[in-house]
Amino acid sequence: MSREKDAANYAVVFFTAVSILLLLFPVSKIAHTVRIAASYSLYPSLHYGARYTHYVRNVPDNFISLLETDQENRALKDKVRELEVRLQNASAAAGENERLTKEMGLSRSLPWGGVWSRIVNKTPADWYGSFYIDRGSESGVTVNDTVLGMEQGKAGLAGRVLEVYPKFSKVLLLTNGAASAVCAIGPEGLEALVEGKGTWMLKMNYVPEEAVLTEGTEVVTSPGGLLFPPGVSVGKVKKVYPRESSMNFVTADVVPSVNVNTLKEVFVLRRSLPEELLGPRQAEKK
Amino acid sequence: MSIIFEAIVYLAVGSAYWWWAQNLTIFGLAPNLIFAAALCSAILAGPVKGVAWGFFLGLYADMLGSDMFGGYALTYTLMAYGVYIIKRHFDMDGLFSQLVASLALSWLSILFYQGLVISFSRPGHLDLRIFLAEPFLNALAVPVMFQVFYRLKRGLGIL
Repeated sequence: MSREKDAANYAVVFFTAVSILLLLFPVSKIAHTVRIAASYSLYPSLHYGARYTHYVRNVPDNFISLLETDQENRALKDKVRELEVRLQNASAAAGENERLTKEMGLSRSLPWGGVWSRIVNKTPADWYGSFYIDRGSESGVTVNDTVLGMEQGKAGLAGRVLEVYPKFSKVLLLTNGAASAVCAIGPEGLEALVEGKGTWMLKMNYVPEEAVLTEGTEVVTSPGGLLFPPGVSVGKVKKVYPRESSMNFVTADVVPSVNVNTLKEVFVLRRSLPEELLGPRQAEKK
Repeated sequence: MSIIFEAIVYLAVGSAYWWWAQNLTIFGLAPNLIFAAALCSAILAGPVKGVAWGFFLGLYADMLGSDMFGGYALTYTLMAYGVYIIKRHFDMDGLFSQLVASLALSWLSILFYQGLVISFSRPGHLDLRIFLAEPFLNALAVPVMFQVFYRLKRGLGIL
């Protein structure tokens, strides 16, 4: 321990003395020689450091650049996701556009004037009862206007306008339990009453027993019904029930021409209905 | 063989400090890796070797500077000797003691060096920013440097 301490003392004295000499005689030959020797010994590290510094010189910048790239990458990923969503929306819009174009073509071929409207709200609790459309009195929609839907390129009766507001309206679907339409069956034109059941299926009542009613028979609106224009497809007979002994008519289930589940746009017919069929406000306007 | 490794480590420390000061300064501040190396070698090495490392690392620092030649050599030599004295009474291997030692010795070194500048060169101009901030950076660097030196000592047998 003592030897170690002595060695330490000698070392510190020696190196301190050398340092002080270097400090005291900075321009002396010895100090200059030491400085030159030290510099020659140490400069290679700087020389090669400077020579190869380009490998490491930009490390901080590269690191920052890497961080920025990472941030940019994250932002771009978010943007890609957003664009994917937009693309999906665009393809949906393109599909809608195609469908609307098709339907517009159909609407031109329809014998009635009217306005296309988008279904804006369907209530799950009243799925087969009613829905809202984005056209109202400002677009000329009036109470009891006929609402048509397009199914497989063909117009079908969806229901009628029940309530009208300036910018939207409520449509009572034919499948609603409170809705009904006078219909004509087949070429004979025998009339019957089609009623909603609150389900996807319609019920046809008061079918004369002499009517030839088979599955698939087309049912259209009758000229006798004032509410709806004649000749609009209502649906096809699905099932005919036998006449009951106490009644002199038959009943049948009818599949509606318009599937409420896939309906997205409807065509609201503008017709000159008799005043008694208009709502009180529309009648007053007239 | 270990002397070669020691020379390599010595040059590596000097180069690292030089490179750091060139490229990684924050508001003109960088940890004094040469000081940290001098302190760590003084802690880990025997007395003679510790003092010698202090002296030669000081020479490197002097060479990098344009001021008086030998000032850092004297400062780090005395610091290494001081550490040799201190470590006989305190455990310098611990993190806390290293932090305290690096803080205290950084300030002492700066003041001592400024004293030398005033004595041997010209009226000193102590950069207050360095005086206040560098010891803390050194305190962060010393434990890391200590671990590096400790592993080099165990792996290569230096110090």
